[in-house]
Amino acid sequence: MNAITLIWTLVAKDLKIEWRSRQALLTTVFFALLILVVFNFAFDPGSPATREAAPGILWVALLFPGIIQVNRSFQIEMEEGTLYGLILSPVDRGILFLGKFLANWLFLMVVDLVVLFLFLIFYNFSLSLQVLWIALLVVLSGFGFAAVGTLFGAMVSNIRTREVLLPILLFPIILPIILPAVNATQEVLLFQEIQSLNRSVGFLVCFDVIYVAAGFLLFDYVVSD
Amino acid sequence: MDWLLIPLYLLMVAALYGALLYAPTESEMGEVQRIFYFHMGAAWNAFLAFFGVFLGGFLYLFTRKQSWDRLAASCAEIGVVFTTIVLLSGSVWARPIWNTWLAWGDPRVMTTMVLWLIYVAYFLLRSSLPEGEMKYKYCAVFGIIGFLDVPIVWVSIRWWRTIHPVVITSSGAQLEPEMIHALIVSVIAMTVLGVTLVMLRMAMRLNNSMAEELVQELVERA
Repeated sequence: MNAITLIWTLVAKDLKIEWRSRQALLTTVFFALLILVVFNFAFDPGSPATREAAPGILWVALLFPGIIQVNRSFQIEMEEGTLYGLILSPVDRGILFLGKFLANWLFLMVVDLVVLFLFLIFYNFSLSLQVLWIALLVVLSGFGFAAVGTLFGAMVSNIRTREVLLPILLFPIILPIILPAVNATQEVLLFQEIQSLNRSVGFLVCFDVIYVAAGFLLFDYVVSD
Repeated sequence: MDWLLIPLYLLMVAALYGALLYAPTESEMGEVQRIFYFHMGAAWNAFLAFFGVFLGGFLYLFTRKQSWDRLAASCAEIGVVFTTIVLLSGSVWARPIWNTWLAWGDPRVMTTMVLWLIYVAYFLLRSSLPEGEMKYKYCAVFGIIGFLDVPIVWVSIRWWRTIHPVVITSSGAQLEPEMIHALIVSVIAMTVLGVTLVMLRMAMRLNNSMAEELVQELVERA
């Protein structure tokens, strides 16, 4: 089997498991929705200050479900013992990483786009075509997030304190995504300008390339015994 | 590394003298500017130590020799201490000068903050793993990823936060020649301090693992 087929098999496996129960999908989306509501309670929805803060709120609401997902994706493997099956198979560990990472990313995309839609409604932004730019940012930043998250998720799957340790490890590394993402979202939603998006998109692409490559190379050390 | 201790002591005394007595008082900022001499040395060391963590991790993955992991762990310890010093001394300096404890718009401040977070995360990871190859491998991976992150953080803050310049960089002011002397001595002293501490910690770790091996042998024989 060539690499593409292998990766596709791995991705399809993970997505099928998710689709059969749909429990993960629903709970993750619900969790993100709750975060949006909590922020609505925490900040006065009518004030202009909240409207300016709204892009930031969107990205926080996207981050936390992401952490939960990457944590879960290896937790299931550990619980069922299937991680050893994957490791024992004659597949290059980098391919395993790509399979897991792409599955996580696709799952997150579904969740994130639902959250984006809900956010626009909750915070009363118009659903214009410009929103597609935000969707692009979500897709790009999700890529990098999923890459680092998959690598670290595999790392902490052995550790008892994994639920609290994974955010501690992950957040400092993905902090640099938040700035261009929030800034560009602000530009699109509040100022309706899209020229400055070039820089943000370029930065996110570089981030993604670096961390997918790093994950691909380092995954072996994280799963082998 | 005992031979380093006397030169280190002399260097630190010279640095203290240079920073507190020899260098003239800065005209705009006053006496508080003297923090700068140790702040610079600590900052340079923090980043150097971080490179040490990266190097130790990378070489451990390559060679699987535990001495590289000892280097990484010791550098992380010294690095987190120095980063804390940088943040604290920077805040003390910033409060009277910039009227804020932490300048969230400055790329150097924010990068140091993220550096500190990565260091602390490194230690939390280390302490939640039992001794063994897994621990060294995982910490090496995290060290490498963290190291890749620091320039990315720098660029991101540079491009998206420094639109609102709040700060006047300290290097914008011209330094008197005496100040430059004091600064150089101070940076060298801090570097030697950092290196000495790392070497001491590595030696302690080596002794620890040798002692543990002896204990293992005794247990097995009994």
